[in-house]
Amino acid sequence: MRILGVYNIKGGVGKTATAVNLAYLASREGLRTLVWDLDPQGAASFYFRIKPKVKGGSKKMLRGKIDLDDLIKGTDFENLDLLPADFSYRNMDLLLDEVKKPALRLLKLLRPLSYEYDLIFLDCPPSISLVSENIFQATDALLVPTIPTTLSLRTYRQLLDFVANNKLDSLKIMPFFSMVDRRKRMHIEMLEQLPKHYDELLTTHIPYASDVERMGVFRQPLLEYASKGPAVTAYEALWAEVRAGISL
Amino acid sequence: MIKQQEERFSIPDVIHPDEIVVAIQNSRSLLEDPSTIVVRTFLDSFDWRLYSRGLSLWTERRDGVSRLCQNGIPELGPNAWITLPGAAPRFSDDIPPGQIQESVAQPLGVRALMSQVETESQVRSLRLLDSAEKTVLRILLEQNGSRVSGTGQYRFCGNTIRLLPVRGYPKPLSRIRKLLRSKFGLSVAKDDLQDEALQAIGREAGDYSFKLSFNFDPMLRSDLAARQIHLYLLGIIERNIPGMKADLDSEFLHDLRVAVRRTRSALTQIKGVFSDFELDRFKSRLAWVGQVTGPTRDMDVFLLGFGQYRESLPQKFRDDLNPLHDFLTKHQKMEQQILVQKINSPHFRKLLKEWRLFLETTVDEQADTPPDATTPIGQLANRRIHKMYRRVLKHGSAINDESPAESLHDLRKECKKLRYLMEFFQHLYPNKKISRLIRVLKELLDNLGNFQDLEVQADQLREYARQMVEERETPHDTLLAMGMLVDGLLRRQQQAHLEFSERFASFSRPRNQRMFRALFASGSKGGKR
Ligand SMILES: Nc1ncnc2c1ncn2[C@@H]1O[C@H](COP(=O)(O)OP(=O)(O)OP(=O)(O)O)[C@@H](O)[C@H]1O
Ligand SMILES: [Mg+2]
Repeated sequence: MRILGVYNIKGGVGKTATAVNLAYLASREGLRTLVWDLDPQGAASFYFRIKPKVKGGSKKMLRGKIDLDDLIKGTDFENLDLLPADFSYRNMDLLLDEVKKPALRLLKLLRPLSYEYDLIFLDCPPSISLVSENIFQATDALLVPTIPTTLSLRTYRQLLDFVANNKLDSLKIMPFFSMVDRRKRMHIEMLEQLPKHYDELLTTHIPYASDVERMGVFRQPLLEYASKGPAVTAYEALWAEVRAGISL
Repeated sequence: MIKQQEERFSIPDVIHPDEIVVAIQNSRSLLEDPSTIVVRTFLDSFDWRLYSRGLSLWTERRDGVSRLCQNGIPELGPNAWITLPGAAPRFSDDIPPGQIQESVAQPLGVRALMSQVETESQVRSLRLLDSAEKTVLRILLEQNGSRVSGTGQYRFCGNTIRLLPVRGYPKPLSRIRKLLRSKFGLSVAKDDLQDEALQAIGREAGDYSFKLSFNFDPMLRSDLAARQIHLYLLGIIERNIPGMKADLDSEFLHDLRVAVRRTRSALTQIKGVFSDFELDRFKSRLAWVGQVTGPTRDMDVFLLGFGQYRESLPQKFRDDLNPLHDFLTKHQKMEQQILVQKINSPHFRKLLKEWRLFLETTVDEQADTPPDATTPIGQLANRRIHKMYRRVLKHGSAINDESPAESLHDLRKECKKLRYLMEFFQHLYPNKKISRLIRVLKELLDNLGNFQDLEVQADQLREYARQMVEERETPHDTLLAMGMLVDGLLRRQQQAHLEFSERFASFSRPRNQRMFRALFASGSKGGKR
């Protein structure tokens, strides 16, 4: 089982779109895939038409009073399941603070699922907190959708610092450009310059496309209602690159 | 929590599947996807190694995409699958790595997967939706047909409805189940599609097994019992011929050879039930089958064990054996061709035909009967087994460390005869006791087998080395590596020799002797208590 976090300190960069579409592609290739919607806003749950509600809330879950197994819902797609969001996730930080070895809590909860799933995506809320630290500990790799702007680059460096300071050396970081708008000069420049400085940068980037926005209208993964177009091609390429990157 | 299993119901012919759809539609919001055709090919080894462990494996083709699917492993949940890029796998090694591969590799061993039956299903897929139009239950209506793989027309084998629960939504499943029961009287199907498909082509899963399992009455006339045994063995021979000719895997030939060996042993060991004239007609011709199948089997044995041979050498010499592998592969193919010619020859076909005719001809009650033809088989079995046992005991006890190899070889032959006898008549004796004695005998036989086979293999390797040099330039390093193999074999053979006395002592220890006597010594009474 591999665990992939989709994370950025910044909000609105395409994390949820990435988690949902890559998970969909993975499941279509026969990988038993789970998405955990960790964002109390429940965007991923919304895309799968599943109520953002978890029996007992995060309290029971984090204290080990209820198995994750019993909270999982099947999506409309074969091999693709969801662990829904819950409004109580907004207090997860406080709750984590109360348990033993808080930074390792999520990993501990996820471990029993290793027989059932080949791949788990964690769709993370923005910001750095105890929750994100948990995510770094639990994941094999962190996908970091990044909008090609100087400001985004700053937050990416913050993330690298955090990882270095917390001795998370085994964590594989996989940043890629997201919502790329070729009409914007800064985007083009960043696309040209940055690969020289960041070896870990994936070669695929996701273009800005109204197709992707419509996920909210259709409440479906992109590939379910659009069979071609630049965004579809980009997500397919991204998935191939990620799959190879985690040797799955 | 184990994932909820799908539920499958047979629809009797009197109910039209449309009626069911209408009934569900009346109460729920239902979405119908385009219907498809699904072709499934159920795979197993010839001797049903997966089925006998509760596993099933099949390929599934729909809309031009193929999958390899599996059922029967709780951790994988129902119907695990992977996409299948190429042709259906032949050996477990051909399956892409992963849990499916791991779970079938061990049960299959060296056996090939073959298609046992093929089905074609017209599938209507319906989805039950909740208020957010999310799928909460999948309903598949399937009209199934089956045929022997790749040949002939599909024969109708039933309409079914399958309910595939969506995880975390148990209620819709139980609601629809209830509706199917109350409105249409449907209940969960006992068989799965594979079973139904096999039935429709007149077969059933597990219909070939190499195991001997007879069940005749101890009072049955011995000539009739012998015929039953022979007919069963002949069936095994005949059924293995197609797979052996096609060289699907090495075990067809293996099973055929063992069946011939058992037949020959039964001919001479179940004594006095056929006339000498009849015996002579078949004995030498059956021996001929043993001979002509030998060379291919020898090559198979080396090829099957090649990995182990390789690993018995230090790492740096292993690749030196590659030319030997090439040689074996090439010669296996050549021998196989020769073998197929022999099997296709009139001589062989006539032998099987006459043998069957003889076995199936009704016994002429009037004619001169051979001495033991009418003896109850329970009695004859006792007598024969006891006699052979005493012979093994006597000859085995006479062997010491100085005895010539021949005496061990002879003892092995007698032990084999004893073993076959005990296996033919196993069911006439209390199961626990006879199983134990067979096991004890097998342990001795393993030792004797090692002693003989390892030397034979060493000699064969030396012979192969000579042939390789004659056929083409062979690197010295290869010959040296083969020399190391010969050395290893002979060492192990020596080891077997040293172990013999201990093994024999264990075989012949008083407790076992008493047990043998108790089971078989009552020559005149016979039978099960
Ligand atoms: N490639 C894209 N092109 C156009 N719009 C996009 C693209 N990717 C995402 N969007 C849209 O941008 C918005 C934010 O995307 P998304 O929810 O995936 O980001 P996020 O990082 O998960 O946000 P949050 O931090 O709020 O969780 C959504 O409305 C989405 O439809
Ligand atoms: Mg999000």
